[in-house]
Amino acid sequence: MLDQIGFPLVITLRIAVLSTFVVALTGIIISYILARRDFTGKWLADILVTLPLVLPPTVTGYLLVILLGKNGVLGNLLYNITGWTILFTWEAAVIAAFVVSLPLMVKTTTAAIESVDREYEYAAFTLGRKELETALFITLPLARKGILAGIVLSFARAVGEFGATLMVAGNIPGRTNTMSISIYSAFQAGNNELANMLVIILVIMSLLSMAITAKLVNSWKI
Amino acid sequence: MDFRKRYYSKKNDKKKGIDPAFLLDAKFEAGNELVVLFGRSGSGKTTALQCISGLLEPNGGKIIVNGDIYFDCHKRIDLPVQQRSLGYVFQNYAIFPHMDVKKNIAYGLKGWKPEDKEKRVAEMLQMLQIEGLENNYPSQLSGGQKQRVALARALAPKPDILLLDEPFSALDMVVRMKLREKIKEIQRELGIPILFITHNHVEAFTIADKIIIFHDGRVQQTGTPEEVFYNPKNKHVAELVGLTNIFEDTVIEDKNEASGILKLKCGNLELYADIPDSKLKEKVTWGIRPENLRILPLDESEKNQDNTIPATVKSIVNKGASKVLALKIAEHRNLLIAELANQFFEDFDIKVGDECLVKIVKGKIVIF
Repeated sequence: MLDQIGFPLVITLRIAVLSTFVVALTGIIISYILARRDFTGKWLADILVTLPLVLPPTVTGYLLVILLGKNGVLGNLLYNITGWTILFTWEAAVIAAFVVSLPLMVKTTTAAIESVDREYEYAAFTLGRKELETALFITLPLARKGILAGIVLSFARAVGEFGATLMVAGNIPGRTNTMSISIYSAFQAGNNELANMLVIILVIMSLLSMAITAKLVNSWKI
Repeated sequence: MDFRKRYYSKKNDKKKGIDPAFLLDAKFEAGNELVVLFGRSGSGKTTALQCISGLLEPNGGKIIVNGDIYFDCHKRIDLPVQQRSLGYVFQNYAIFPHMDVKKNIAYGLKGWKPEDKEKRVAEMLQMLQIEGLENNYPSQLSGGQKQRVALARALAPKPDILLLDEPFSALDMVVRMKLREKIKEIQRELGIPILFITHNHVEAFTIADKIIIFHDGRVQQTGTPEEVFYNPKNKHVAELVGLTNIFEDTVIEDKNEASGILKLKCGNLELYADIPDSKLKEKVTWGIRPENLRILPLDESEKNQDNTIPATVKSIVNKGASKVLALKIAEHRNLLIAELANQFFEDFDIKVGDECLVKIVKGKIVIF
């Protein structure tokens, strides 16, 4: 049984950590641009980023299969270059987790950056600092509570991801069976003991990450 | 400085050739002195300052500071904010809440050697008298201290010009007065031009070497506080500098060059005033400051004197050191506002509804 718990836990954490890392990086850049720039088609960019939040995960997953499959635009390109198909691998699960959690990151971070008073940035400009420096040392630190909230939400979403992951990575024991998927298959197979254990671990993980976040945020004055 | 900035109410208005909703057209010069940009909110003062700083791009004109061209429409020069040597202090201080006082002050000292930085911060702390606060965070500071930190931060990189946007509006009277003195002292010490925005006429009067009056995006009058306050050029300036009693549509009935006296008729009101230096139009506007009205008891012998008219007291507001009276005069629909020191009321008890005489002091009438 330890084996049946161990692998899903490791693979889930690996997927969630990796996807959250990429989500945090891209999310902060996208959010900064959405919050501080005006460009034509901004509304479209906003809709595209938000879409996975409102689409059923199976639909998102299906679209990803079309895109990443051997005959899909990206999948075909990847196959021609490397001879490798990404579908039904844990890497595909990372992509699924990334796509579904990005909107949570962008929505919270954009709001946090927008709420930073522009006068702080103007003050930094008048003190000779360029926009990139100002963003890194003034704007983002002042928006860090919102950014952290976005990261925590994205991580939780990645850990709990089910529908899209099942579509693109399947449920291959020892390869792509994440925690959420293992709970479902254990329950289906009538293995309640395993399902209970997995559920307890997931609940503890969630409580722990929330507690750590709350403690960290409370230690920040701004 | 001579520049224009257009604001359109809708994005497409410019293409359609619709006139801008607001046009700032500012032209003025500032030497190494404290210059107050004075006007109501929405008159374009802040926009002017933002154009000078480079936070906004003007649509035309030139901005030259200390020989450096910051902006020149014809030569297509628009120096980025970062390259303009200026200090800017915002109304809400804008000191970085996540940095302590020392880091805030040193923030503009990019590329300085650590020991020079340290020295400059110490100098600034001493100049603004905030020694001992260097390790405090902004949340631990009072409003006055925050403003001193903001000033120290703006002055630390040795700017060529200091721009202050209503820096003291959120502070209490005592702190404000102290900081006004500090600003004057700093100006004398550093010898750089300081542009100071305010809409408070007491502040403008006490602090300025030169006042530039803005109204509706345009410079209305420039001069020393005395010139602007006692000889406002037009109605807008007069209103701004506290000349509350303004009467338009007045005709000149007689002009006696020999005695230098002018006879005015405004509605049924007849008045005598000194002939002003400026050229007179056919129809003029005249005004008088509230403190230049005298109140006399209703006495028949006084009634027929020049510039003395009967009035009824409509309201009395006590301002502490003085009282402000609103007076209804029979000859005109406008109310007259008079301000008299509280001492005056010790000998002369006057209540709302009482009748009295108002004397409009001849030499104090301003005509424009």
